[in-house]
Amino acid sequence: MSLPPTLAKILERSDVWRGNTLASALLPGVPTGFSGLDRELPGGGWPRGALTELLPARRGVGELSLLLPALVRLSKDELAWIVCVAPPYPLYAPALDESGVDLSRLLIASAPGRDAAWACERSLRAEGVGAVIAWLPEVSADSLRRLQLAAEASASLLFVFRPPTCALQPSPAPLRLALEGGGGGLIVHLLKRRGGTQPLPLPIVIPRPAVLKSSAETVANRAAFPA
Amino acid sequence: MLCLTVMLWLVLYLPRLPLEVFPRLSSPGAIISRERVVVADEAATSAGVVPGLRLAEAWAFVPHLAVQERDPVREQLALDRLACWAGSFTSEVCCRPPATLLLEVAGSLNLFGGAEALFRRVVFGCSGQGFTPQAALAPTPLAAQWLALAGDDRPCLDKGELAGRLGCLPLTVLGLSVQDHLRLGRFGVRSLAGLFELPRAGLARRLGSVLAADLGRALGDLPDPRPRFAFPERFVERLELPARVDSAPALGFTGRRLVASLCGWLAARGAAIRECSFVLDHPRGAGQWPVTTLKLGFSGATRDAERIGRVFIERLQRLELVAPVEQIGLQAGEIEALSGHTAGLFGDRGEEAGGESLAVLVERLQARLGQDRVHALSVATEHRPENASRQVAPQIVAGRASGLRASGMRRTPCGPRPLWLLARPQPLSEAAGRPVCGGPLQLLAGPERIESGWWDAAEPAAIGDVRRDYFVAVSVRSEWLWIFRSRAGWFLHGVFA
Repeated sequence: MSLPPTLAKILERSDVWRGNTLASALLPGVPTGFSGLDRELPGGGWPRGALTELLPARRGVGELSLLLPALVRLSKDELAWIVCVAPPYPLYAPALDESGVDLSRLLIASAPGRDAAWACERSLRAEGVGAVIAWLPEVSADSLRRLQLAAEASASLLFVFRPPTCALQPSPAPLRLALEGGGGGLIVHLLKRRGGTQPLPLPIVIPRPAVLKSSAETVANRAAFPA
Repeated sequence: MLCLTVMLWLVLYLPRLPLEVFPRLSSPGAIISRERVVVADEAATSAGVVPGLRLAEAWAFVPHLAVQERDPVREQLALDRLACWAGSFTSEVCCRPPATLLLEVAGSLNLFGGAEALFRRVVFGCSGQGFTPQAALAPTPLAAQWLALAGDDRPCLDKGELAGRLGCLPLTVLGLSVQDHLRLGRFGVRSLAGLFELPRAGLARRLGSVLAADLGRALGDLPDPRPRFAFPERFVERLELPARVDSAPALGFTGRRLVASLCGWLAARGAAIRECSFVLDHPRGAGQWPVTTLKLGFSGATRDAERIGRVFIERLQRLELVAPVEQIGLQAGEIEALSGHTAGLFGDRGEEAGGESLAVLVERLQARLGQDRVHALSVATEHRPENASRQVAPQIVAGRASGLRASGMRRTPCGPRPLWLLARPQPLSEAAGRPVCGGPLQLLAGPERIESGWWDAAEPAAIGDVRRDYFVAVSVRSEWLWIFRSRAGWFLHGVFA
């Protein structure tokens, strides 16, 4: 006659989820630098030790500028390293420097194909890495899950850029944002965040810095051609 | 200080060394010298092939016995390599051919957690190097040698115990001639204990002063200085593989032996390396590929065997062998001084730990992706946008960084710069006098005139003289772009990501 399973045995099972694990405190996030966005993010900023998925509609909508205030904070105040994995175009030092990112704490790894996810995982394991930013257009769901686990173990930020079509696929990332340009700024759609019961907020518009110094006049003057 | 007078000798006696330097000798096999067996492998020994047997008799026991003439040069090289390896434990190493290595370890006991722990570690490490040692630990070198010869591996730490411990040993450890042996037998002496009881002066008269002096040295009554092993100026070592290896990852095991030897050599010299090269020898006649060289670089000077081994394994996994490998060699690059590691009093690791581990990350990434695919960025004072951003080798610095940008060279204010700069400008078409990129572009800011670079116009790889008017433009799909107009028309140069 088989004995009835004890409570302890049941609790050992991997598929049993205990309600009190939710109570484990979230690490406070890294402020994004945009108060409208901070208000909506659990932890009040970019979550540490979690995968954040960013799905920009197109390049050049301000997807990387969105991260800059947090990167400045990490590199300057926390003396943490920032690792960029497989950026699609060369990152431009003067712009990063101008925004305040400490270039001496920036590492860029051009990793093709499957090496990119590997490089992310290794970077997350290294001590002193505050943020990993990766462009992984063809990453598999398994790799993403691995990355999420690696991020959880590390308490650093992990941003993964993926194409907008991925928005329809399920993802292990606790935070997913779709980004698009419009209205002179960047529109952030929260697709998913921790604390599932609250309704997702309306899109948040992040204005782009005014680059127009004397635009009307100079643009009219654009016929000025190098002689 | 009292402790300076106390010495502790760890002896590694390698009875099977002549056999171990021929890893490819097939089994059953034996090493011979002057038609007599020197040492035989296990299969041959169990069939009755014992040292001293004549070759003809050995063949009578085992008809298909593989034999190899003894090679003292190889044995000496192997012993030297092991002496280098022993440098990780102490710099006081003494080589005593044909098959004995002595380590004076009194100064290393604290570092390695006591005599027992150190002893175990050395023996384990020596086996890891591919040898079967008989080890012993004693306060005098000769006593340790005799204990090792007799295979007595219980550490003897106290001089007072020496007479008792040595007393149990048979006379064979002394290596006496047959005649002397017989004479001692006639005296009724069967072990060293009996020898110790004889009056030393009479013994010297009958059997020569050498034996009497040896007894004095073994017991610590007479001084016994040993010549110190001279660690070579350059580290170049090679190891024969037991079999031809076709797949690169299988080289890791043997490679790590060489790395351990290298790190011992570095520790004994108080040095570290930033570069080393593995040389993989292919058999002769296997095409036009005599060797494959694998150069490893490290982001900081190191002598950490674990770290060097890890980078080596990482590189091996990416390596396609062009031909099987027979031998593997290791050469150290330029060495630089590196003092010992000082641990914090309270076990604090601080910022340095993070820096160290990041250096390891950089090495791992570089080993797998390629040296130039892992880099940092720095700003250069140049007007031409392409030249203002430079890829530089990552500098791992602990604490607050001094910054890669030269301080005091504040850049002159300029217009907005994009986060991405295309490797080369992309030509844009033009419609109704306006640039087009997936639709007409709206110009938001500009122009910013950049006119510079006449000095390298003649150089082939340089960008040369440019005259461009840069604009910030937004496309109909809300992409913010950095475009310019030059004589040749409109170009897309950057993306405000």
